[in-house]
Amino acid sequence: MNALQRSAIIVGYELRRAIAKKWVLALIILALAIQILPFVVLSRLAELDIINETMWVFGVLSGQSLFVHLIAILVAGGSMSEEYEHGTADILLSKPITRVEYMTGKFFGGFLLVSFVEVITTVMGVILAFAFFGPQRDLHFVPLMFVAIVYSTLLFFSITFMFSEVLRRSTLAILMGFGIFIVSSIVGGVLSSLYSFTEEQVYMDVNKLLPTWSATTLPSSLAANLKIMPLLGNGMIELPSGDVHLATIIVAIYAVIFVLLAYFRLVRSDVTKRAA
Amino acid sequence: MSQMSQPVITVSNLTKFYGDFKALDSVSFTVDKGWVYGYLGPNGAGKTTTIRTMLGLLRPDEGKVQITGINPTKDPVHALQSLGYAPELPNLQTFFTGEQLLDFMGKMFGLAAQARKERIKQLLDLVGLEEWGDKTIGKYSKGMVQRLSVALALINDPLVLIMDEPTIGMDPEATTHFRNLFINLSKQGKTVFTSSHLLDEVQRICTHVGMINKGRMVFSGPITQVLETFTQQWVVEAELEKVTKTMISALKKLDYVEDVKVEENKLRIELKEKKDMRGEISSEIFKRKGVLLSLNLHKITLEDAYLRALKGGQ
Repeated sequence: MNALQRSAIIVGYELRRAIAKKWVLALIILALAIQILPFVVLSRLAELDIINETMWVFGVLSGQSLFVHLIAILVAGGSMSEEYEHGTADILLSKPITRVEYMTGKFFGGFLLVSFVEVITTVMGVILAFAFFGPQRDLHFVPLMFVAIVYSTLLFFSITFMFSEVLRRSTLAILMGFGIFIVSSIVGGVLSSLYSFTEEQVYMDVNKLLPTWSATTLPSSLAANLKIMPLLGNGMIELPSGDVHLATIIVAIYAVIFVLLAYFRLVRSDVTKRAA
Repeated sequence: MSQMSQPVITVSNLTKFYGDFKALDSVSFTVDKGWVYGYLGPNGAGKTTTIRTMLGLLRPDEGKVQITGINPTKDPVHALQSLGYAPELPNLQTFFTGEQLLDFMGKMFGLAAQARKERIKQLLDLVGLEEWGDKTIGKYSKGMVQRLSVALALINDPLVLIMDEPTIGMDPEATTHFRNLFINLSKQGKTVFTSSHLLDEVQRICTHVGMINKGRMVFSGPITQVLETFTQQWVVEAELEKVTKTMISALKKLDYVEDVKVEENKLRIELKEKKDMRGEISSEIFKRKGVLLSLNLHKITLEDAYLRALKGGQ
């Protein structure tokens, strides 16, 4: 058996472990419920003359800016730490597998679950657009949008995954993930406002380095670049936009840094016994 | 054991710190093929730390471990391939059924699907869980989890079986069953390393014993040798109608007495040499007007040897 096969076994294990949790199912149901709401509201506002045939983009992106990242944080927060909390890390790491293979399997297993949730919400977004606004066009961009959304979740998934390994407490890791998301959003909002008032480029440049900027603007920026943004009345529906390439690079840099931190922690430290 | 036997487990000068606390202090021992090695020590002595370091779960600060000649810290894939491990009070993945968990562990050892299927059935029968294989582990009792843990440790038909307090939580019938299982595994040429508090159990199944106290090895060798090494004297047990302080004090002052322990109206008189001193002791008791109900001489058990070894180790 090679390293890839050993990691793949852990991927399967991680998926099985996540599916056993009732909150994962609850999250999926909640994600779908949250997706339906904006469509219901928009469809009632007939006077706004919603004429666009790309409302599926709105459907796909509606939950993306917040909800997908929250799911990523929740899944990553428990990925490594729960094995320590439940005392099952001993069982797994006393088997013929390296720590790197184990962590790789845990990372991709968790990320696959987040992707699976995103598959459901993407499909649901397209179906809702059809149901509320009739036939849609440019549907060949759906897979690309899906990839962009999933890729953008990598950032907060990696940050929280690192905390999950370093702190070895799921609650703390999730709180840290949420905390960084909220603080980054607030600081980003303030910097955007300062930029609007002063037009000083430095505020926007700093804002772009914050984790929320690239994670939340990447998919909508891509939609804007592809010119598939839905219209509301005479203007486009307001969604965050920016440089797709820069956002892609920033997501990658954050992901690599935090995954490496998690890797060094796991490889260099002891496997702690069950948390008291 | 045969002189041809090769060390299956080699622990050399193993030292482990938890912060400033030295949990293991230059621990060394070897375990050869076919041995049933009992690892003894009081709570906090370093038994579990030793085992976890042997498995590569803990990084040693000094020294090294080799399992079948391979360092598990550096190459866990090869070192742990032929090893089975049953932890103390195991925490298993409760969302799996027993069969699913065995299947998952079989996959981790690279067993083919058909081999896993056959092995799982065989192991569930072996540990008496044949009717529980399709139930989720969350529904198992502690004893059943312990049984499943032993089955998990055997899924890869290991050459080396490492167990931390394997019979904790098991009923007496299961304990006997598993004792026999470990003896049979040893007869098949497998090496069994087990930590235990149950000295009687160790005395029954182990060929060799290691004793650790406060992170230091105080003995490692054949079980016959431990009894010999730490039984330089015999013990006289006396039951009296009434035990007085003056009587105890007088007995302790005798040249041939090492120590006297009292439990209600019973005296346990440890002798300095292997001599039958019952006549002298009974005379001393009569001299102090004691009424003797019984007087027996017996050799020291593993428990006595263990306590003496720990005392020496301190």
